[in-house]
Amino acid sequence: MSTRSELVPRFSSAQRLVHWAVGLSFTLLLLTGLAFSYPALFWLTHLLGGGTSAMVLHPWVGVVFSAAMGATFVMWVRDMRLGAADRRWLRAIQAYARHDTGHVPPAGKYNGGQKLFFWAQTLLALVFLVSGLALWFPGAIAAVVPAASTLLASMRLLHYLATLAGGLLLTLHVYLGLFAFPGTARGMVDGKVSRAWAALHHPAWRPDTDPVTTTRDAERR
Amino acid sequence: MSTLSIRRTSAATSPAPGIRSTPEYAKLIDIGSCIGCKGCEVACKEWNDLKVEPTANFGSYQSHQDLSAHTWVLMRFDEVEMSGRLQWLITKDACLHCEEPGCLYACPAPGAIVQYENGIVDINQDRCIGCQYCVTGCPFDIPRFDRDTKKVYKCNMCVDRVDAGLEPACVKTCPTHAISWGSKEDMLALADQKVDLLRRRGFENPVTYNPAGIGGTHMMYVVPHGDRLADYRLPATPTASPAPLTGLGALKRIGAYVLGFGVLSSLVHYLTIGPQTAEDVPADEH
Repeated sequence: MSTRSELVPRFSSAQRLVHWAVGLSFTLLLLTGLAFSYPALFWLTHLLGGGTSAMVLHPWVGVVFSAAMGATFVMWVRDMRLGAADRRWLRAIQAYARHDTGHVPPAGKYNGGQKLFFWAQTLLALVFLVSGLALWFPGAIAAVVPAASTLLASMRLLHYLATLAGGLLLTLHVYLGLFAFPGTARGMVDGKVSRAWAALHHPAWRPDTDPVTTTRDAERR
Repeated sequence: MSTLSIRRTSAATSPAPGIRSTPEYAKLIDIGSCIGCKGCEVACKEWNDLKVEPTANFGSYQSHQDLSAHTWVLMRFDEVEMSGRLQWLITKDACLHCEEPGCLYACPAPGAIVQYENGIVDINQDRCIGCQYCVTGCPFDIPRFDRDTKKVYKCNMCVDRVDAGLEPACVKTCPTHAISWGSKEDMLALADQKVDLLRRRGFENPVTYNPAGIGGTHMMYVVPHGDRLADYRLPATPTASPAPLTGLGALKRIGAYVLGFGVLSSLVHYLTIGPQTAEDVPADEH
């Protein structure tokens, strides 16, 4: 019988690298994007060297974000299929938020909320990519589309709405991982979580037989 | 031009500083008096020291195919058929200096686009970040992006000349007085006279082009065939509403509340329900 403070691997090093590529690029994109949307936040463009520089670099950071999101999708999609158990978990989400553990159906490696988060961010990444490409090359759009102004204005609206949704998701993600459930963030730093954490949040997960983390990280444990 | 004269400024977080009460100017283009000499194009290039762009004959009397960052005014020549006869339509294509400027509303860079008390809309390229939102926001497709400087340019109504009490260069050079310059009031009165004259000479639908959807413009046209605005490449009902698509106006305010609500509710959850440390939860409660 293992002790509750013993650490078990949860994320592979590749998963952690990709997670931080997404996280850091999206944070930069969100802050500079808000700078372009809100005059009072225009000073945030200095994160990327000032107005013009931020305007030039924002889409390139977007390229990094899109690539990292592509890798995220490939790495995680098999674990993210929503099933009946996830729907039961989602119905009990208020109990989870209240820490009323007794009324939360046992989640596997990922709970219904995390799976929903994955699909929401995948959809948002697609919206960002399509609308972002259009806004990056307005001249090319104008050359082929007759009503380019209307199209580009709609793309800006879409890009903005996706920013709002993405900003909310990031807030939720950071709050849950960093503040609400201590011990979670560590999974994305050295890749490990405690058995107590796993038993509380993902009781149906079997870390000792998890194919993602047991292959290479097991012997290092 | 002095900051005392700035009436509107892009991406502003405080009211514009203008306190001067100066007359509003306007340029009036009498299309019927234009002989298509392109003297205004040359005068514009000369006064503003804009580089010459090589061009080629593409089957039109027109000098360049399109406006550019270095060509702020372009005489467009269009051949159309009217009542079985060929008509040669000429339009002086340049910034109309809208009363409600769609470019300024769309611009996210503080102070990059300003409107002066006299009605001139000007781009401050040193503050322009090259996003080209103004290009999308303009109902007349006027601003042009320069790849080398990564800034946007357009006609500034020779703001430096006007500031010194002179008329814009194109006005000064026009040999047929097809371009007039004066207070907006005077130019509207002059436009009425010209429209009357055209009507007396047999034109059925002469109009003054000063579209209400953007609060009027500070470059107006007297159009001989007012029922054929599209043939002059003039939109019949241009708009530049700050919301919802160009400036995203009120939506952005709601968006700010939504994001703020997200952050606040996280804080409230932390302070009321608080964090849950797995090690503190007894094993049998899992």
